[in-house]
Amino acid sequence: MDCGTCETAPAIEVIKPKVVDVNLTITEKALDMLTEAFGDDRSHALLVGVLSGGCSGYMYDLQIVETTDIDCQEIEISGFRVLVPNASSHLLDGIEVDYVDRLMGGGFKINNPNASSSCGCGESFA
Amino acid sequence: MRVFQLESYVLLLSGKDCLNFLDGLSTNKVESTCTTVFTKSNAKIIDMVEVIVVGENIALVGHNKYKTNLLDHLNSRILQQDVSMRDISEFNNVYISFDEYPKVDGITVVSTFRGWIVVAPTSYTIESTLTLDAFNEYRVEHLIPHHDYEITPSMHPFNCRLDHLVHESKGCYIGQEILTRMRSRGNMGKSLIRVEGSPEDATTIGQTHSLVIRKV
Repeated sequence: MDCGTCETAPAIEVIKPKVVDVNLTITEKALDMLTEAFGDDRSHALLVGVLSGGCSGYMYDLQIVETTDIDCQEIEISGFRVLVPNASSHLLDGIEVDYVDRLMGGGFKINNPNASSSCGCGESFA
Repeated sequence: MRVFQLESYVLLLSGKDCLNFLDGLSTNKVESTCTTVFTKSNAKIIDMVEVIVVGENIALVGHNKYKTNLLDHLNSRILQQDVSMRDISEFNNVYISFDEYPKVDGITVVSTFRGWIVVAPTSYTIESTLTLDAFNEYRVEHLIPHHDYEITPSMHPFNCRLDHLVHESKGCYIGQEILTRMRSRGNMGKSLIRVEGSPEDATTIGQTHSLVIRKV
């Protein structure tokens, strides 16, 4: 394979949707669970992102992080720092982070008005 | 040496998330060099590609005619992942060899279910020893599906004998729910078979036999 000239091949332009200021809400139940997870430590943040993959093409990515290299916008909700990657802001504007208390399929859930369809497990959307 | 030049594109993917990115969007478990299929939500084929690990990069070799559709599919899904793509098709030619192709410096050779896929710089001359008819004759004889004949956007992988590229236990990807349901119910629809003669529904016609995709 000609990789000597690979460097001269132009990069394929990746579609970069417009970055939007994300409006995000967290339900009372989810706030209670975040309080339990974070304790009194507010130095960490909840990262709400989107990765490719899953049955529907996009998967939610929830992490508790101290810092991140990802270009994010920071929102403060009830004393919690919430980070949303700018690259996926168009997919996350208007979402509600909820917590579902169920033995099976419970945990944090995202209600997303931008999703045209969702996977049965709720982890991926299109 | 039975060699035929393919009408292929070669994309070079860079970034630490490349393998995860491809694995999350295609039917096979992509952990290293392998063949995999990208499917739409209705499990129909976008393209079947060779994933070739080249140092720290990944080369994707697929069918030229399906390049735009695959690029559209991949492009909109690169979000915060570390993935970048370059099109290096114009610098390389792609061949298939039905005999083991010798390792030569500068040439990339991978063994696949179809034969040996050879990616060579355009400056390196490889003689195509098979005509299109001879290539198709070999395919008919060995039941090998090919892009634009059997591997088309109106088929799903089970239709064109790509069952082995649909991993049985990997996690979710686009089209997975349908393929898993078909497999678990034993209802895989039409499949690629070899028949005598040249029937009207033949996808590839050989001298005495043809390939057809039929309900069996």
